[in-house]
Amino acid sequence: MLAAFANPVFDSQRTFRELLQAMARPAVPRLLPVLPPSPAPIAPAAMAILLTLCDATTSVWLQQPDDNVVRHVRFHAGVKLAEQPLDADFALITDPLSMPPLDAFARGDMRYPDRSASLIVQVTALGASPCAQGEAGRGSLTLASTQARATPPQPSPASRGGSRFAGPGIRDTETVAIDGLPHDFWQQRAALAAQLPLGIDLYFVAAQHVVALPRTTRLLES
Amino acid sequence: MTYNFAFLDEDTKRMLRRALLKAVAIPGYQVPFGSREMPLPYGWGTGGIQVTAALLGPDDVLKVIDQGADDTTNAVNIRRFFARVAGVATTEHTVDATLIQTRHRIPETSLREDQILVFQVPEPEPLRTLEPREAETRTLHALADYGLMHVKLYEDIAQYGHIATSYDYPVLVDGRYLTSPSPIPKFDNPKMDQSPALMLFGAGREKRLYAIPPYTSVESLAFEDHPFEIQRWEHHCELCGSRESYLDEVVVDDRGSRMFVCSDTDFCSGRRAEAQA
Repeated sequence: MLAAFANPVFDSQRTFRELLQAMARPAVPRLLPVLPPSPAPIAPAAMAILLTLCDATTSVWLQQPDDNVVRHVRFHAGVKLAEQPLDADFALITDPLSMPPLDAFARGDMRYPDRSASLIVQVTALGASPCAQGEAGRGSLTLASTQARATPPQPSPASRGGSRFAGPGIRDTETVAIDGLPHDFWQQRAALAAQLPLGIDLYFVAAQHVVALPRTTRLLES
Repeated sequence: MTYNFAFLDEDTKRMLRRALLKAVAIPGYQVPFGSREMPLPYGWGTGGIQVTAALLGPDDVLKVIDQGADDTTNAVNIRRFFARVAGVATTEHTVDATLIQTRHRIPETSLREDQILVFQVPEPEPLRTLEPREAETRTLHALADYGLMHVKLYEDIAQYGHIATSYDYPVLVDGRYLTSPSPIPKFDNPKMDQSPALMLFGAGREKRLYAIPPYTSVESLAFEDHPFEIQRWEHHCELCGSRESYLDEVVVDDRGSRMFVCSDTDFCSGRRAEAQA
């Protein structure tokens, strides 16, 4: 059996602070400070989020629940596994191209919109907006905002232009490329926006980075 | 006796962290959480303390203010508490802090993107004095039905000729949720709009927490013919001469003499140090 966080108290605290900043500043890639060992197909970055946020009081839906994965997640986080996507507080999407439709997950109810799913989606690449690559994207808000966009952005290796987002937490707009999603993913997500404040909150991970998209973030163009 | 880092156990911190992330994802919405008994009574900042405990790491530099002051009982106690149970560095300087816990003020010095402001909140529900039933206020929030609050503000105008609410002045966050800014003076409300820093709110007794993300619209309710206005003073601070800060009126002797001074002690002492240099 693989280990988890070497230093559970401080590793999860540092990871949480990055997740909090990721959620507060949508579409800006953040560097996860600690990557714990993880059994395939779980990515270390996804494992870091599970270990930071999940425990015996959360139900987790695994897209690919291999025995090895189930044993690892149960042992280290003690989570309940959800049978159906609808029952999950957290869902781990290890193969986005065959993921269930977004409306299969809980969106909360009008009195309690927080009773909704958080999805951890392992994507092939997260193209940081050109200036966001240094220092975990810190301070990139100014540079990647629309004023700086007067000069055409240089394409980063993973991105083919990227998608432009706006919403709470974003000054003007923010651009990021999220690769490896189903072709109708953004249409599905846009359909959910009509139900705000109900919705689903997303954490995309690739390598050591995380990008969060809360339900309030709007896709302007891709 | 030793405590777990930052006092709370890890299960509690995880519960708080999950609630905080949902709070940020739904700006202004009050997320219920399992508020714990803390080593000080409800009403002394237990909500703010629990939020701070969930955030705090060994590298943080913590500042705690009470009505703008670093040296009042509540602020000193909470600062000492975290110095003891988390061993974190503390400061009185707004610019040096990574985390600022506050009771009823926002610092005068502009905050930065890498700072987080944690508010202590006595009553998170802005509609509570108008509608005591929780089930009912939840429904009003679900329907974004905030007519009650507009009527209340209108009645102020009908009775006093102006909106008489001077603190805990209700705001609309991201055009959706009516939210209590906590009992900060309305003077501080404009600082919340499009703030570079993340703002988190904890109400321990009421077991609710909520958030205003950075760069989010925060609109103080008003009417077209009665626009929102902040407090103004004819005086300036008698210690530093500031005309742009929030002033406290202090009685200084038995004969009723008064002076006006900055409520933000760090801002005031910084200005005095500058003037001397």
